[in-house]
Amino acid sequence: MPRYLARRLGQALLVVAGVVTLTFVIMRMVPGDPAVAFAGPKASPEELAAARARFGLDDSLPAQLWSYVRDLATGDWGTSLRTRRPVRDDLFAAFPASLELVGAALILAIAVGIPVGVLAARYKTKFPDFGVRVGSMLAVSVPVFWLALALQTVFASNLGWFPVAGEYDGALDSSSPLTLWTNITIVDALITGNWPILTSTLWHLVLPGLVVAAYPAGVIAQMTRAALIEEAGQDHARLERALGFGETSILTRFALRPALNPVLSLIALVFAYAIVNGFLVEAVFNWPGLGRYAAESIRSLDTPAIAGVTLLVAVVYVLANLVVDLLQGVVDPRVRAR
Amino acid sequence: MTTEPVRLRRTLPRLPDRFAAFGAVLLLLIVLAALFAPWLAPYPPDELRPLEALLPPSAEHWFGTDSVGRDVLTRILYGARTSLVIAVAVLAASATVGVTLGVVAGYAGGLVRDVIMRVTDVFLAFPALLLSLALAVVLQPSVTTVIVAIAVTWWPWYARLSSSVAASVATRSYVDAARCLGVPAPKIVLRHVLPNSLTPVLVQLSLDAGGVILTAAALSYLGLGAQEPAAEWGLMVEQGQDLFTTNWWVVTFPGLAILLTAFAFNVLGEGLRNALDPRRAVIR
Amino acid sequence: MRWHKRLLVAGVTGAVALTASACAGGQVRGADKTPRPSASSGSSAPAAAQANEATFVYAPNLDVVTDWDPATSYSNENIAMANIYESLTRYNTETKKPEPRLATEWSSAADGKEWTFKLRQGVKFHSGKELNADAAKAAIERTMKLKGGPAYIWDSVKTIEAPDASTLKFTLKYATPLDLIASSGYAAYIYDADAVEQAKDGEGDAGTGPYTIDAWNKGKETELTLKAFDDYWGGWTPEKYRKVAFRVTPELTTAWQLLQNGEVSFVQRLNPQLFDKAGATSGVQTTQTASFQNLLLLFNTGNGPLKDVNVRKAIQLALDYDGLAAALKGAGVKSSGLVPQGLLGYSAEQAPAQNLEEAARLLSMADYGPDLNELKLTLTYAQGDADQQLMVTILSSALKKLNVTLQAKPLQWNAQWDQGKAKKQDIFVMYWYPDYADAYSWFLNVFRSSEKPEFNLSYLNNPEIDKAIDALPELTATDRDKAEQSYADLQKKILQDEAAAAVPYVQTYQRALSAKVEGYVDNPAYPNVVFFYDLKPAG
Repeated sequence: MPRYLARRLGQALLVVAGVVTLTFVIMRMVPGDPAVAFAGPKASPEELAAARARFGLDDSLPAQLWSYVRDLATGDWGTSLRTRRPVRDDLFAAFPASLELVGAALILAIAVGIPVGVLAARYKTKFPDFGVRVGSMLAVSVPVFWLALALQTVFASNLGWFPVAGEYDGALDSSSPLTLWTNITIVDALITGNWPILTSTLWHLVLPGLVVAAYPAGVIAQMTRAALIEEAGQDHARLERALGFGETSILTRFALRPALNPVLSLIALVFAYAIVNGFLVEAVFNWPGLGRYAAESIRSLDTPAIAGVTLLVAVVYVLANLVVDLLQGVVDPRVRAR
Repeated sequence: MTTEPVRLRRTLPRLPDRFAAFGAVLLLLIVLAALFAPWLAPYPPDELRPLEALLPPSAEHWFGTDSVGRDVLTRILYGARTSLVIAVAVLAASATVGVTLGVVAGYAGGLVRDVIMRVTDVFLAFPALLLSLALAVVLQPSVTTVIVAIAVTWWPWYARLSSSVAASVATRSYVDAARCLGVPAPKIVLRHVLPNSLTPVLVQLSLDAGGVILTAAALSYLGLGAQEPAAEWGLMVEQGQDLFTTNWWVVTFPGLAILLTAFAFNVLGEGLRNALDPRRAVIR
Repeated sequence: MRWHKRLLVAGVTGAVALTASACAGGQVRGADKTPRPSASSGSSAPAAAQANEATFVYAPNLDVVTDWDPATSYSNENIAMANIYESLTRYNTETKKPEPRLATEWSSAADGKEWTFKLRQGVKFHSGKELNADAAKAAIERTMKLKGGPAYIWDSVKTIEAPDASTLKFTLKYATPLDLIASSGYAAYIYDADAVEQAKDGEGDAGTGPYTIDAWNKGKETELTLKAFDDYWGGWTPEKYRKVAFRVTPELTTAWQLLQNGEVSFVQRLNPQLFDKAGATSGVQTTQTASFQNLLLLFNTGNGPLKDVNVRKAIQLALDYDGLAAALKGAGVKSSGLVPQGLLGYSAEQAPAQNLEEAARLLSMADYGPDLNELKLTLTYAQGDADQQLMVTILSSALKKLNVTLQAKPLQWNAQWDQGKAKKQDIFVMYWYPDYADAYSWFLNVFRSSEKPEFNLSYLNNPEIDKAIDALPELTATDRDKAEQSYADLQKKILQDEAAAAVPYVQTYQRALSAKVEGYVDNPAYPNVVFFYDLKPAG
């Protein structure tokens, strides 16, 4: 196990190094002079020179890359051209809200996807299976931004069942102020017992959560179904059938556990995918997360901020993969040997 | 992962799968619509009639008109062309690059394989939409930009896939035999390794087309892709989004068009995979 | 973004105290003094004598404050600043004259080169200091010294004197209508010059206005709240709104929904479709006012393909002005020349028209056109502005027929402006409105040559035009007929001879507000500003 751990960590580090390089290259591809953009229109030649020196724009490319890496490592992720605050602080303020949205969506997706997958496998080729196949296919094929607009229009604007936008009712900031510990609103509201904000946040989460959950739920349902059908065809299932177990209990009691292994690794992939998909949803629902930040940065050609978002999400993605691999290594010794 | 396709093929039903056939028919209709758009469309695609703006669906305009009086149905038909062109171009480019690198990596093994696969890992660490986003910001917004941006994020999947297939093929005895007979490496790759890698790649291509279409639409929705006056579904949704509550048809039909096209590709792709290559993961 | 035309990229200084710094356990989100932004909490009280406890909530679609300094502020924050600060006069759009504000009366002498203002007595700054002539002089001198974007309005001032505590005397280099200039929505505020230096961003202010800063939460949805200044010289009656909140709402649909639910009181802009709907919805009232705000397409006369005047003329002729006006469905009217109706300098004979044949002919002279070379043009416009997007759609369709490809990029103002100052686009689209009710700023700020372009984003450099522009203020003060003629000539030169810009339409301000509010008057001289002090609950 230690050897597997070391190898897997080494791989992850290599990937992160590559990600940093790639982000650097993309940033340097931007047309125009970041020093001019930073120093502002009224900058004197001296101020411009200072800005150039600050960004190291006069150094060679490898030297620039090296100082970029060094800055990243010391926590200097650059300064946003738009907000003029450190990108790291901006990301830190925005990320918890994204985590909240994607976390809620994933819980929902798992809670719906796995039972639905079991249902489809149990009634393979029957009507429920057909329904799940069509439904899950639609869920993975729907453009999220459009689904977000449609749900918002129908259920918030027209019917008024849910709030139109935002993370929670802003008025609660004064009537029931939230004490921050983790910066994730829903968690903080829970641990400090702030029920008004908790219920308001949950209420605001419903529509964006549903939209972000659509794709993962569809994929998880398909994967569960496929894995279960395969497990049900294995030798052990034949034995269980011979021992008189019904199809339902074979699926849920014996086949589900091994079938969940591929589903687990899928969830890591889906997690990162959902964060990026969430970008499109956050903009529609005015959710104060990374996606809204990214969208605003794109429209301001704010390269340091875009690079920051790219890097952060890529690192989260690598980490998620790493965690799942290690978990699988613990659960299933065969993985370690690979 | 695809080392024992033959044994596994028994466990799942083969084609004909009615669901997959439905996807194929739907896709065929979409392709026909794209091909014959100029003949099918009731109006010219960018004829502006500001006085007839935002008309609801009627006998003259089945899907209504947009904010400058263009026929929405016409633009959806032409939009099918844009979407399919993007999908084909992205998949062709990324499959060519990916398969080439993958087969080389898989066959050569050793250091070459390590280097190629580590680079692939780096690209795989970016969710496709994210890297496309970053790239699309740097480049001028256009359909070409969308194609380049998505292709850059898509090829590693083919590299990874074909390298594992190629690696397994490379250890087969007939390849060993060819090597012993002194057949040069490029020839072995072309004659034996490449053809054997193609089936999973083809399956993957059909599975991916839906994803490419969704990503392209998302980029255009964000204003980073197709530009006015081009007819593109994502762009149409973006332009109409403020009108959703008052003029639903402007947004609803382009969105449905994206949904149906991605759906058709996904259903067909799943059917092909079940028939040809059942062990491959549902998504990557 | 429509009114977001000029955002001063303040020095790098704006290092604001962070609202959410790293892992701060136990922090309380939002200031605890933030009042509840609800429009209706006190509306159940029928008696007029009952105090108005309700908060008036304004829903802007962009961040409100970019610059807190009343001397240099030149952007969106005017919607807050105009309620915190006051100037000597205020422009009345109905009488078309400046009215007393901090000055009670004024007179000019020596052919408009000397102006004397009598100051109002008993006015207190929010800092507690009394307003007197020395304080007013210090404020204006500080504004002039800082040379912020709008400080040009005081360019004609040679000296300011304070002969006694209530008299302010200006001596000018050349005659200008100083009473009108003093009503400017930017750079004309009278503030406590000492206090303004000490006040940290958003934590205090130095105005005399009816409201003062309550809490500023940069980047938050409810970005800014204001509260009544108890010692306001105008006094307070119970029915007036004492609390105001600005709730940033980028999406039109969301803003409309919030207005319908009664969560916000005022939405500064909807699209024409939602505006129609608002007009037919109970609980909501709408107003429509012709504005001084028009859309400018500034052509890059400095470099690129539009350096050729024939190509510029072709693009001017390609736009379907009437089609655009029709598609705007009441949100704008086709313009005639650079100066909107209602201002000196407007001429009804400069209305543009589409002419594709002539456009093709002009293009062919530069070897572009349907059977010749393809022309690629880049255009930047305001992200999120539906009207500008409509214009881009209509322009790009017409240009496509001429074998001209338009690459249009929607950007947030800062990015768009940075690119503009670096001369990176062929066509720069922006709104312009005057700082005070006078056409001069279109010419001085937008078309007078400058070494480093600020708003001269057509990069026009014509000494003859410059000379005529420089003569405008004095001419306006001395001989209005001649001034009118000069304005007409200048517009002809800029729009027809130089073809430096196209001016498709003048915006019509379409506001939607809660029916529970009474007393709202849209004053287009102060774009998007609501003077909260003038409002009260209906009934």
